[in-house]
This record gives sequence, structure tokens and C-alpha cells, in this order.
Amino acid sequence: MPVRRQLDSRFESTDTDAVLVEDLYREFGVPLLRHVRKATGNDLQWAEDVVQETLVRAWRNAGRLQREPGLLWAWLLTVARRIVIDGRRRRGTRPQEVEPADANAVPVPDGADRALEAMIVAEALRELSPEHREVIEQTYLQDRTINEAAEILGIPPGTVKSRLYYGIRALRKVLKERGVAS
Amino acid sequence: MLPSPHHDVAAYALGVLDDEDHEAFERHLMECEECQIELRELSEVPGPLDALRRDRSNSLDDDRTSH
Repeated sequence: MPVRRQLDSRFESTDTDAVLVEDLYREFGVPLLRHVRKATGNDLQWAEDVVQETLVRAWRNAGRLQREPGLLWAWLLTVARRIVIDGRRRRGTRPQEVEPADANAVPVPDGADRALEAMIVAEALRELSPEHREVIEQTYLQDRTINEAAEILGIPPGTVKSRLYYGIRALRKVLKERGVAS
Repeated sequence: MLPSPHHDVAAYALGVLDDEDHEAFERHLMECEECQIELRELSEVPGPLDALRRDRSNSLDDDRTSH
């Protein structure tokens, strides 16, 4: 059937693309959603939007990512984090209307674990040098980029990056000793 | 200490590089095996930090000032 064949070839790339996004969802959808929910304060709707946007971006970058398949998971986590940070910055000036209601409406089975984890992380941060603690605080924990944090701290961006590098490595080591990071 | 392109890996893992640096580091990452290994290790750190942030946002709302 010539028409059928014509249609098939015309839609071939679209079909392949859809399959690729489906594959990404199947393989990474659930674990990614679990990570992202932590970052969105358990806001499920927001987390699902972030996962979708992340996987669409992954699909757009598929050519590049397929060369380094081992990097895909780390890449997805970074992209998802950037989307969450952007979203939080946009919401930043608004009062937090969602979270308290959401916390009451949705049971959080791991609430106690999370509180414990938060305590362990707070303790781990106290073990770092003040310089290392400061850059972690002024970047990730305040939703600021490197350049913004550099301006606030009055130090060059390169210094923020290298302090963050050694600080995050040190933090990982302490968290690992306490069984929090793998 | 001189800044090294490898040091951007932590900021990249946290998602806090400014756009231009983010793209530049991603290009570097595709070529640098050392950074690829480090990224896999460091990408587990932000999760625990999220737990801390959430804990704080629940208890420290009063301290928030507009920014």
C-alpha cells in the first residue's frame, strides 16, 4: 500500500521520538520523581512537571547524551535541579501558600526519616570549614547561582567554585561516614 | 589556588552554574573522564541538602525577609 508506506516514512521520525521519550520515562521516570519530590518539598504536581520537562530536554539532547550513556542519570539530576531552582526563584517572592496545606493533605510516610536526615546534614555541615559551609549556604541552599553568590560574598566566582568543589567533596565524605550518601 | 575547569563539577552537580558556565562545563564534561567520575559521585549530595532545606522552610518561615 503506497499511501500507507508514505505515511509510515513520513511519521517514522515522530514515532521514534515518541518511543525514545517513553523509554526515558520507563527507565528514569520513577527514580527521578523520587529525587525531584525531595527538592519540591513533596509538591507532587510540581515534581511531575519538572520530571516531564527534564525528560523532554534529555530527548532534545539525545544525540549528545547517547555518546556517554553512563552520564545520563547525573545529567538528568542536574537538569531537574536547575528547573526546580528556576521555579523556586520565580515563586520566591510569593508567600508559601501551597506547602502548609499540601503537608496536611498529603501524608508523608518518610517524615521522620526526613527530619533525621536533615539533622544529620546540619551536623555534617558544622564539621566543614566556615568557608566551605558558607559557599554551600550562599549557593544551593539560597537558590543562588555562582555569580550571584560571588557578588554577595565579595569574592571572585572562580573562588566560589573551587570552595564549593572542596566543600561538597568534604560534605560527601562526612555524609558517607554517617550512611546518608552512597 | 588557580581556578580549574574541573572545579565546576560541584557547582554543575548542584545546578547553580550560570547559564554560560553551565553550557561550557557540559562541553568539557563530555570530553573529561575525570569529571564524569566525579559528577557521578557528587550527584548524590544535593538530595540530603534538600532534606535540610525543607526542614528549615518548615521551621524558619518567620525569619524570612523579602529578597
